[in-house]
This record gives sequence, structure tokens and C-alpha cells, in this order.
Amino acid sequence: MRNSTSFIAVTSVNLALFALFMLHGRYSRGNEAALLKPCADLVKRLRLTDLCLFTEARYTRNPAMADSHAPFQDHPVALEHFPSGSLVTPPRFRPEAP
Amino acid sequence: MNRTIERHRHIIDFALSSLLRRKGKNLSLLAVYVLIVFMIGSVMFFIQALKREAALILQGAPDMVVQRLVAGRQDLIPVGYGDKIGAIRGVSGVRPRLWGYYYDPAVGANYTLMAADGDRQAPGTAVIGSGVAATRRLAQGDFLTLRDYSGEPVLLEVAGIMPYASDLVAADLIVMAESDLRALFNLPGGSATDLAVAVRNPRELATIAAKIARQFPDTRPILKSEILRTYDSIFDWRGGMVVVLLAVAVLSFVIFAWDKATGLSAEERKEIGILKSIGWETGDVLLLKFWEGTVISLSAFLAGVILAYGHLFFFSAPLFEHALKGWAVIYPRFRLTPAIDAYQLAVLFVLTVVPYTVATIIPSWQAATVDPDAAMRS
Amino acid sequence: MIELVQVSKSFNAGKANQFTAVREVSLAIAPGRVTVLKGPSGSGKTTLLTLIGCMARPTSGRIVLRGIAPASFAGPDGTGEIEITSLPERFLTGIRRTTFGFIFQQFNLVRGITVLENVMLPAYPTGEAHGSVRRRAMELLELFNVGRHASAPVDRLSGGEAQRVAIARALINDPAIVIADEPTAHLDTGLSREFMEIAGSFKAAGKTILIASHDPIVFDSPLADAVVEMRDGRVTRGGSAP
Repeated sequence: MRNSTSFIAVTSVNLALFALFMLHGRYSRGNEAALLKPCADLVKRLRLTDLCLFTEARYTRNPAMADSHAPFQDHPVALEHFPSGSLVTPPRFRPEAP
Repeated sequence: MNRTIERHRHIIDFALSSLLRRKGKNLSLLAVYVLIVFMIGSVMFFIQALKREAALILQGAPDMVVQRLVAGRQDLIPVGYGDKIGAIRGVSGVRPRLWGYYYDPAVGANYTLMAADGDRQAPGTAVIGSGVAATRRLAQGDFLTLRDYSGEPVLLEVAGIMPYASDLVAADLIVMAESDLRALFNLPGGSATDLAVAVRNPRELATIAAKIARQFPDTRPILKSEILRTYDSIFDWRGGMVVVLLAVAVLSFVIFAWDKATGLSAEERKEIGILKSIGWETGDVLLLKFWEGTVISLSAFLAGVILAYGHLFFFSAPLFEHALKGWAVIYPRFRLTPAIDAYQLAVLFVLTVVPYTVATIIPSWQAATVDPDAAMRS
Repeated sequence: MIELVQVSKSFNAGKANQFTAVREVSLAIAPGRVTVLKGPSGSGKTTLLTLIGCMARPTSGRIVLRGIAPASFAGPDGTGEIEITSLPERFLTGIRRTTFGFIFQQFNLVRGITVLENVMLPAYPTGEAHGSVRRRAMELLELFNVGRHASAPVDRLSGGEAQRVAIARALINDPAIVIADEPTAHLDTGLSREFMEIAGSFKAAGKTILIASHDPIVFDSPLADAVVEMRDGRVTRGGSAP
């Protein structure tokens, strides 16, 4: 088999898979409302404000409720205390006086 | 048309023969290339999907949350504030939220304790998230033991366990009766952790927030838009680990392209001379170099993206779990919905495919334009 | 007919190591015949061949092809006369590909790929169908008795076999002019005579042959129609001036 034939074949398969995945993505996005319903319902019912992604420390658990001082409530240099701290930065744009 | 296709195919034939001469080197190059695309792609897609999911899930979050600050730190807020806030025009309702954190030293986990509305939860019982149930190995009907503020044990019967599908918001939750929560943390009556404010017209949020801040200078209102923006910026490109990851990836890339970019060896130069002497034009030689670069970079891009997609959306990103989990004991189970758009793919393409292909063509440019005789003599 | 008018070629012009390989050579090479350039090494034979074969441009002088190049490259007056020296590089390459077949002294085969691919290489950019190129390549390899090595990498071949592959490659585009630079340098007597016979068969097919050699087997061969002697970049004997 010619080299270019193999290359074209492999690339075609890749492109086909690629297209398939893009379609899968679109299809999944159509169905996601049902998937997200349990979470969305709880958020409404319990009036939640955060995802439960970072349960390491208090200031990482509710990033939307925290501010740049929250970590320091634990310890003066607690900003990078936990690994999540390097992923989660406190939100900006707080209306209170600095 | 056929001639053009055949010409490209022939040149691809030779480009591949040329690459196969150094099979080991080029295969390992391809492998590392795929790995880099896979890493960058995974991170990009993951962030995007998570951002989107957060935005969708938190649509139902309170319009505004009012906290109270004492000496610069968050403190309990009197429920009385809520009554007064409820009187402000435009506010359709104020509900106090009573919640807090509980550290369980036995397993090293943090739980979030919440008071249920009104009588929804019978005293002495609790509904727990699946993460809590798993960590403490509890089933419905079992007893959950907590220690109150004075160190005395408190027993709560597990009335229900929240489904896995709600993990992303509730994995570490323990929802109990308000009286139980107050007793556990010794919270005085008439106080709440913060207030959830509902507003009739979302466009008036900022005005109402300003009014609240004026009326109660010791409070800090947090708007829903800020809540949502938190998660938008949480994995922002500029933030933390992502930058380091990308910088490392791009740097390792440069190292690989270095081999190509620092110019041709005498042998490669001579070979270009030979090609020109048997009738290949400059354009043909450059096309050859283009295909040499593209064969590798295109294959790596496609393979990397496909693997990244599979990793994230069919296997739920096991490789990222470690990074996200950190030292946490409870980590939610969740399926991400793919949220890839053309922009992301274009950025990935530009970051990965273009530099390599360019680095393969440019050094050959000069050699390709030289007289074949001169090229072969050198 | 190939006509050279006062052709000179200098290397490193203007610098301290300026070197003139060809000095004011005027020559007419008859079509359909075997012309041999004879002379010691350093006499400028190789340089002259590369100039004729469109692989380098002379520093001064003109080279004209008459009645040999394909009609598609005919000059503006339609007489089939082309001045190579004034052509832009693009057209020069086209002529190089279709009109000339060059057999190098060092063979200059591309290492690491198969014999067959080496022979097919000159035809790759033309966009001709793969099947027909392949067939022609195999025929040529069979013709020169190296067909059995078609799938072998060129690096494994002996000197004589490699040279025959080089010859096959030079013929893949069916050129009108075949140029060979010291073709017998790596061959023994028997193979050298064989080479001259092959050259004779080209001539019988109507091609123009140009050989540079200081090997008596070549320039004393009865197949050589014209012998041009060169020394120090000049033509000293033979070759009809235009």
C-alpha cells in the first residue's frame, strides 16, 4: 500500500472519530438538563451558592462566599495552605472598602 | 485536479518514506506530541465544561446573599436585619440561611452542615450527601455521631442519603433540623449565618444592594452575578496551575521544534540539492517540508484531541481527579457534559500544529532556493 | 542541438579565492550523437555539464537549446529555440525535468529509501498517475538488470548496481538529452564496456548523449561520435564552434 494511502486512511479515521465526538457533544448538551436536574433542584431548595468541588478547607469550599481575607482567618500565610488554593483564587470585584 | 492530487500524494509518499528512515526518533516525537496535545486539550475542555456546568447548576442560586462583617471577618447576622431588608422596595423575600462547617478528625474530612427550612427535617434526623455516607460508611437508618461545641456527642439518625447525581453540590452536606444545628454549634436564637434575598426585578439588584449596604454598613451583599462569575474565573487562564501547565507544555514543545528550527544538517541540504537536480522545483521542495511537518502535527493534534475527549467525557477525567481533590477527603462524583467550541479547537490548533509545521518549513526555505549545483557541492 | 556561446563560470566571484572553472567556452553539440568531454580532473568538464544540464547559471555567455526541448517550451518565435540562460528558475526546472537526465559521478541517490522510489522520484512533482510511473520505473530497472532489487534500500547495492539505478532514474521522464559525469569511475573494465553499450542503445533511441570522462574506454570507444578536449576550463581541441 502506498504511504500516502495509509496516511489518508489513518487521518480519515481520525477525522471521522473527531466528527463523531463533536456530534456526541452536541447530543449530550441537548440532554444535559435532565442530568443536571438533581443538582439544580437542590440549589433552589436549599438556596446553595457553591459547587462541592473543593472540600479541603473552609475557604475553598465556598469560594463564592469567601474573600481574600477568609484564608487568613485560619493562619497568616494560609493562602496556599491547601493544594486547591492554587487552583481557586478568591473572586475579585468586592464592593466593600479595602 | 487529478494531477494536483497525485502530485500531493506522491510528495506525501516521499515525506513518509523520509520520516520512516528515522522510525524510532519520529515515532517517539509523535508520541510526545500527542501527549502534549492531550494534556493541553484535556485542561482546556475540562475547564470549559466545568464552567458551563457551574453556570447552569447555579442558575437557581439566591439573587443576593447578605453577610455581616465584624472586625473584617464574617460573623453571624441578626435575623432582624432580614425583616428590615424585606421592607425595602423591590425585595420579594428574605430567608435566613443557617449553615456552617464541621471538621471530622476521625476521617480528616470537612462537612457542610445546613439547617432545613421550617419543619422539613425532623429533629434528631438528618439527610446526608453521598460523600459523607461513603466516608463514614453510613446507610439509611444508621446513626451519625457528631460532637457539639462542648465536645459532647450528638446522634442523628440518617433519614436519607442524597443521590450521586446531586454530588456536585451536595456530596459533603448534612441537612438537619434548625434546632439541632443551633444546639450543635451553640448558635444564639435570632441569628443566622447569612440571609438569602430574593428580588423581583433582577436589574434592580445593584441598587437594592447599595441600599442594604447603606442601611447596614456592617453587611456585605453578594450578588448572584458575582456568585456565577466566581466560577467563571475560577479556572481562568491566568490562574494558578493552568498557566504553569501550559507554560511547561509550550516550552517542551519548543525543545522538540528546536531540532528542526536550528537549521538543516549538511546531509539534508545535500538531499535538497539532489531533489532539485532531478527536477524538483523550489515549490516542490517546500511542499515536501510542509507535508513532513503536517503529517506529524496533524496526526498528533487529532489523536491528542480524541484522547482528551475520551478521557474527559467517557472516563470522567480520572487524571484530573487527583489535582482537583488535593488533600480533600470528600470528592464529588460527576459526569461532565462536553462543551467544546470552535474557538477552543482553533486556539489549540494554533498553539500546537502551526509552530511545528512552520519550524519544519522555514529552515528549508533558503536551501530550497539555492542552485542545485551549489547545494550538492556544499 | 545544444549551442554554447562564450560561456564562463566563476565561483566566489570578487573574493580572494575566486576560481574560474570554465573560460569562454563556445561549443556546438550535435543532436542524436554521443559527445565525450575529455580532460584531466579540474579541467572544468563537470562544471560545463552542470551548466548545460540547467543546474547552475553561467557567469557570462549564453546556452541555447535548439529543436530538442519539448514543444511546450518553444520560444516566442516558435522556432523551438530556447535560451536556457535567460529563463526564470521555474521554467528552468521544468526543462531540467523533462529534457535532461543526469547521471552523477557520485550517483547521488537518496539514501534510506528503496531503489524503486529513487527511480520514481523525478516524476513525483509532475502529478502523473502513480501506476504508470511505477510501471515505467520497473521496466527500466528490468532493462538494466536490477529489477530484483526494486524493494531494497539503495544503501545495500554494489557500485555497479547503484550506477544502473542512477541510469534508470535519469531515464524515468524519457529525456531527450542524457548527461553522464565520469560514469565509469567506479566500474571495472567489463562494466565500463557495458555502460558504453547502454549509451549506444540510447543513441539508437534518438537521444543525445553527453559524457565527461578521462577513461580511455569511453573516449576511445567507437561509439563516441565527437570528442572535445578540455584543459583548464578551455576547449583545446574538437567540438565545432557555432
